[in-house]
Amino acid sequence: MRRSDLGEFEEVVLLSVAVLTPQAYSVAIAEALEEETGKTVTTGAVHAALQRLEKKGFVNSQMGEATPERGGRRKRLFTVTIAGSRILHEVQAVRNRLWNRIAPQGLPQINLT
Amino acid sequence: MASRDHKSSAPPSIVDNILRRFCTSHLVEEILGDLHERYYLIEEKEGTVEAKRRYWREAIAYLRPAMFITDPSQLTPTNAISPAMLTNYFKIALRNLTRQKAFSFLNLFGLALGIGCSLLIFIWIQSERSVDNFHTNGDQLYQVYMRAYNGDELETSYRTPAPLPTELKQTIPEVEYASGFAKVLRLSQQGDIYEAFQVGDEKHKMKGSRAGTDFFTMFSYPLLHGTPETALSDPKSVAISRSMANLFFSSPEDAFGETMIFHTERGKQEVKVTAIFEDIPSTSSDQFDYLTNWDTWVENDEFKQFWGHFGTLTYVQLQANTNPDLVAEKVADFLTDYVDVPEGMNLRFELDLHPFSERYLYNNFENGQPNGGRIEYVRLLSIVAIFILFIACINFMNLTTARSLRRAKEVGVRKVAGADRRSLIYQFMGEAVLLTLLATLLALLLASVLMPWYNTLTEKQLFLPFANPIFWVGLLGLILTVGLIAGSYPALFLSALLPVRVLKGSLKFSTGNTRFRQGLVVFQFALSALLIIATIVITRQTEFIQNKHLGYDRENVIYLRLEGDLVDNYLTFKEEALRMPGIKHVDRSAQTPHQMGLSGSFVRWPGMNEDNPVSFTPSSVGYDFVKLMGIEVVEGRDFSPEFATDTSSFLVSELAVQQMGLKDPIGSEITIFGKTGPIVGVIRDFHTQSLHQSLRPVVLDVKEGLNFGTILVRTQPGMTKEALASLEEVSQRLNPAYPFTYRFLDDEYHTLYQSEQVVARLSNAFGLLAIFISCLGLLGLAMFAAQQRVKEMSIRKVLGASVSQIFTLFTKDFLQLVGMALLIAIPTAWLAMNEWLQGFAFRINLSWWIFGLAGVFCLGITMLAIGYQAFRTAQVNPTSSLRNE
Repeated sequence: MRRSDLGEFEEVVLLSVAVLTPQAYSVAIAEALEEETGKTVTTGAVHAALQRLEKKGFVNSQMGEATPERGGRRKRLFTVTIAGSRILHEVQAVRNRLWNRIAPQGLPQINLT
Repeated sequence: MASRDHKSSAPPSIVDNILRRFCTSHLVEEILGDLHERYYLIEEKEGTVEAKRRYWREAIAYLRPAMFITDPSQLTPTNAISPAMLTNYFKIALRNLTRQKAFSFLNLFGLALGIGCSLLIFIWIQSERSVDNFHTNGDQLYQVYMRAYNGDELETSYRTPAPLPTELKQTIPEVEYASGFAKVLRLSQQGDIYEAFQVGDEKHKMKGSRAGTDFFTMFSYPLLHGTPETALSDPKSVAISRSMANLFFSSPEDAFGETMIFHTERGKQEVKVTAIFEDIPSTSSDQFDYLTNWDTWVENDEFKQFWGHFGTLTYVQLQANTNPDLVAEKVADFLTDYVDVPEGMNLRFELDLHPFSERYLYNNFENGQPNGGRIEYVRLLSIVAIFILFIACINFMNLTTARSLRRAKEVGVRKVAGADRRSLIYQFMGEAVLLTLLATLLALLLASVLMPWYNTLTEKQLFLPFANPIFWVGLLGLILTVGLIAGSYPALFLSALLPVRVLKGSLKFSTGNTRFRQGLVVFQFALSALLIIATIVITRQTEFIQNKHLGYDRENVIYLRLEGDLVDNYLTFKEEALRMPGIKHVDRSAQTPHQMGLSGSFVRWPGMNEDNPVSFTPSSVGYDFVKLMGIEVVEGRDFSPEFATDTSSFLVSELAVQQMGLKDPIGSEITIFGKTGPIVGVIRDFHTQSLHQSLRPVVLDVKEGLNFGTILVRTQPGMTKEALASLEEVSQRLNPAYPFTYRFLDDEYHTLYQSEQVVARLSNAFGLLAIFISCLGLLGLAMFAAQQRVKEMSIRKVLGASVSQIFTLFTKDFLQLVGMALLIAIPTAWLAMNEWLQGFAFRINLSWWIFGLAGVFCLGITMLAIGYQAFRTAQVNPTSSLRNE
């Protein structure tokens, strides 16, 4: 059923869910991602990613409270599952291992301010 | 909330409506909630305009298949695509088809007609596109063309000097092969040369040309005998076609190596058959039965060796992997070293390369660059084909949707029995594809039946490419696309119905739904109206060109070539012909009046400004030319043999007088090609070329010993047959070496506009068909509306409405839609047709009545299609329709 374990966009969405819990829902996630990356992120894209993540079993969802901005509609709140937590850790471990193996001359120098 | 305090707006409701309609119910709440929340957030940060824009973007980002499909977690596994269900779907589809025969017929027939038409058009387009595209070296083949700058004037043509191909091949390393090609060149068209061949007593005029030794190496005309290298290498060689070999010898085998007698302008010569090629396919724009050696031809004629004589074509083949632009740059100024420009003349020649495969479709030059031409007709008809397909699809969609109301109960029952939305979508889409398949089969049948008629219409040999696998793949693609598009709305709409609502009682279309269908009708009718207007304009323009007074009388004029012994016997010929029945005037002239192509600034006159040359069309004629052609003499007198001095006097056209700026033209002395003499008369302007070109100033002189060109003969009206018999008799007697061949000026004139005529006929036929298809759809909708409103009308009638009131009520809605369609179509058509007409130097005005006529026609047709239904509805006896209420 799974197409791949975790796509790149899915990864940041999943991380955002973890960051924003207990108020993790599509609009908040899209806003957070826009702020972090400086690029436009549509709620539609986030919604799609969340649906896929839920199908893969990395997040759970339940309906939350309604607000006037939503025209009185309820929002769907997401939390990371154990499987989700595991995959995030795995991804992080892979990345860390790779980072640690980079020799000093392996990356061109850029001046980070 | 803060966001609502500063005059906050509402998100665009249209998006919400669309989402609410199609989105699966379990997602609507959160999606709409997200969208709205996001809207107010953005509005607060970046303003209302940005928020609205972003709202659309956000909504579009939600368009995913998952949106339309029912909550997967609530899906029960179904047997939606089990064989049993498939048979059921199939059965239901067939039953539905047969139950409403009129509807099904309209639906199927309309679609079949649409597909059939576009199929025919695409075959035509395909054949147009394939012309000159079959040569193996196609990518490397180019034709050299020339821009002549004459002061501020620029003339572009394919005509190049005869020594050019040999010189190009020797001088420019990138030119691998080069060949000249001889044709009688008119400005707008390329004419063919006809010459006589003789073997024993067998003597025929054949169509052919001269070509260089490289010709068969460059072009992929298959050879039955001989090799490409040797086909034209011998000075006395001739390459002939299979049919020509069959005509003179019994077979191609027998012809190879034989000799033939070839009658040219310079007398008889013996030629040897060195190659036999397969008959030239119709997809080649060069058509010939024989080719003879280029170099012999050039060597035998000093005039041909002259670099300043532009009268032949030059084909080159570049080396593989050469950048043609670089070669074009190299050849641009090539002629400067070869052509001597007379002192005081501001003349410059520039060469350029045109891909050989493009010369057929891009045959017009504008500002010295190939620009448009036949390709515009190909594009025009592509649009027509797509329009027709569109109209047919819309019909199909409309009728299917209208009819789907009757299927609502079926949907309800299926849903209650456990069908999910997905299986219903499959069912309806599948049904639409099945219907499209049926329609396509019908369309193929229709197209095959219409093929002979279509071939006459297009003057081509077209056929359905059944053997071509790409054709079938394309057809399959068409079926799927049309089926899926046509089935999409009913499928999405029907599958969204709630069983509770459907099964509880009658279901009415919501206004949104009706709007959608009305929108389709408007769109469809706008397309039809556009086609009607285009059809009228194209037909009118074509007629205008055909009937425009050209300044001379082109009817009842026959012309023959001044060739063979006729050159010397011309005076005898004239004298004897005039004594025969049916013949009114005989005269010779260097060119026929409809193809006086050559022009240049050769004329000198008193008060001429040397820096600002004027291009004239000069021609040499006999004494009777003006009388024969019916050209009006405005001032002065016509040429006459009574004045011995007339051999050095001139007739000029009004435009010529105007451009020379002569106050008192009669008696003014002018000089052409070193010949000086007075102007004795001014003639009315006449068209020397096709009407694509503007009028040119004409200067005529008398040349007594004219030894080339044409003999023009005016016949007595209604006595063409007698005149031809007379001419044949005299011609055979005085010029026995040449078979008698002749042309009608009128016919020749028509061939100048052949492509326009074909396109006019095509757009006429298909425009009418498009309207017909639209009407089929309209009729279907009217029938449906009538069924829907029978009860309403009956109640109105019971309450005292008259038949005419009901009739008006019923037709009003439809007429409104057609009116709206016209409002869209008319400005669009005006813009498009105006653009098209710009391509003609002489054109009709886009008068209001064309649009009025199209409008009245559309409304009239609508009235006809709906009127009958409306009348029937109004006539219904209320007791029969209201009995069950």
